[in-house]
Amino acid sequence: MSDNKKWYSLNLGFNGNKEPKKSCGCGKTSGGCGDHNNDMSEDAFFEAAVDASIGDEVRKDGFEQVFDIKMDRRSAFKKLTASLLIGAGAVSTSCSVVAGDDSKEKAQIDWEEQFKGNYKLMTDKEKKGTVERLMRSYELRTGKNISMTSENAKEDVLFGYAFNISKCQGYMDCVNACIEENNQDRNSQMQYIRIHEMKDGNGFKFDEADDNYYHEVPAEGHFYMGTQCFHCDNPPCVEVCPVQATWREDDGLVVIDYDWCVGCRYCMAACPYDGRRFNWSKPEVPEAEINKNQHYLGNRMRKKGVMEKCTFCVQRSRKGQNPACVEACPTGARIFGNLLDPNSTIRWVLENKKVFRLKEDLGTEPKFWYFMD
Amino acid sequence: MNRKKDIYILACLFTVTFFSCKHGEGEYHSLYDKIEAESKVYHDTTMTSETFLNDIKTIKITEGEHTFLIPERKGQIKSYACIECHTEPLDKLKSKDIKKAHWDINMAHADISTMNCATCHNGNDMNNLNTLTGIKVDFNSSYKLCAQCHSSQFEDWKGGAHGKRIGGWVAPRASFTCVNCHNPHSPSFETRWPSRFNTEQIEESHEGLAH
Repeated sequence: MSDNKKWYSLNLGFNGNKEPKKSCGCGKTSGGCGDHNNDMSEDAFFEAAVDASIGDEVRKDGFEQVFDIKMDRRSAFKKLTASLLIGAGAVSTSCSVVAGDDSKEKAQIDWEEQFKGNYKLMTDKEKKGTVERLMRSYELRTGKNISMTSENAKEDVLFGYAFNISKCQGYMDCVNACIEENNQDRNSQMQYIRIHEMKDGNGFKFDEADDNYYHEVPAEGHFYMGTQCFHCDNPPCVEVCPVQATWREDDGLVVIDYDWCVGCRYCMAACPYDGRRFNWSKPEVPEAEINKNQHYLGNRMRKKGVMEKCTFCVQRSRKGQNPACVEACPTGARIFGNLLDPNSTIRWVLENKKVFRLKEDLGTEPKFWYFMD
Repeated sequence: MNRKKDIYILACLFTVTFFSCKHGEGEYHSLYDKIEAESKVYHDTTMTSETFLNDIKTIKITEGEHTFLIPERKGQIKSYACIECHTEPLDKLKSKDIKKAHWDINMAHADISTMNCATCHNGNDMNNLNTLTGIKVDFNSSYKLCAQCHSSQFEDWKGGAHGKRIGGWVAPRASFTCVNCHNPHSPSFETRWPSRFNTEQIEESHEGLAH
């Protein structure tokens, strides 16, 4: 039997040997604990110990852990009073005549941010509202201004990307530019782009590729290729998200609402291209290095426990600029553009070069093509 | 009567299967179908990349069916115009008592049997370049000289597969010309250190995910 399971399993009472042990752990019901102690296995002992310390909580899921607890009237009232006080505190800060205007406004913003809806479902006015709140909240907290937009996808635009394997030399300038542009966590050294160093003549072998090279590049007998989020047209990460915090925008960008993400990392597991990153800790960027030109779906500051990934620099690309990686690449290996524009360079590449995509057979339809000279 | 019923059922089945193939508006069998279909009604976006070029001066060129901007070159050459120094024939300038110039030019472009200075430069008209057949080429159009041998690169550059795009992805297109990346006297790139360390390993060992 597996007692310290990490997942929740429904106990319908079919599992015979669980019940007596439970009562034994409590120590109050039938029989003395001492009677059982002799024939207790290690597992059973562990369970008993867990039961004694945290009791039912191990077997309860979600709100049951909080609500489904037997308690006497006195402690119930105690807890109710405590939570009332917390709520009243929040209300009083916003209504109080004593508290400063700033803290009132901050409480108001926090309240509205807490209960706002999913960005995907917001009207343009609501989008503007949340962006303004976030900018104001940043100003209140740090005394500095940021500019954040909620620019929507433009009509007749479908973003696509092409990567010239013959040109990439592994300089990593793209990665640096990406980190600076997108305010990625400096502590965990998060990177959206990976540059893989592969041996000539071996083809794409990601398991044999060196992703951690540090020597003069290009190294003899090697070629370089980069991966990042491919902004699939049929993205599996979007399918699996249980809260619809990630979706495909009309211009083809696959984006995340960092405030709606619950951090379950299903999308990370579903992505066949290692395109998604998770914030294991609170992302930290030195104030002086923060890129203050932000987009709600792009490079605004994230928090602990949410997913993030490449957005083709939505804050830049929707204004007509190239993503930071394209602009930084010294070799011109990265090509970005509008797939719907028959005269765009990306279309010329797709129509005139021998292009391919990774794992095309999965049907994910990535909008990221590779080609060679 | 029965036959009528059969036909009716068949017709129903046909319509059901016919319509169930498409799950909704805007769905295509593949991304390529979608691109093809949706670009038929393409309207140019109202954005322009001109503001992103900052202070890069550009000139408009048309090669084949492609028209785009390339950076102006002559203003970037430090010692242009060349005839400010090249007032006399080269033999005289090469004499010892005159201060040396162009000492830093290292010719590493094809071998000496294929190329020398005169392949591109004209000793009698230093302000311009010349083609293999001796036709005058402006310094701003130096790509025409490169295209004489590097024809496949030229094709790719015209289309946009070779050469870094500057400004933004919206029209008008502006691309670097050959000499913005390649030194014409030594066109291949030198090896160098990457600008940062690749940190996938660090990240994963922090998380305990390394396999």
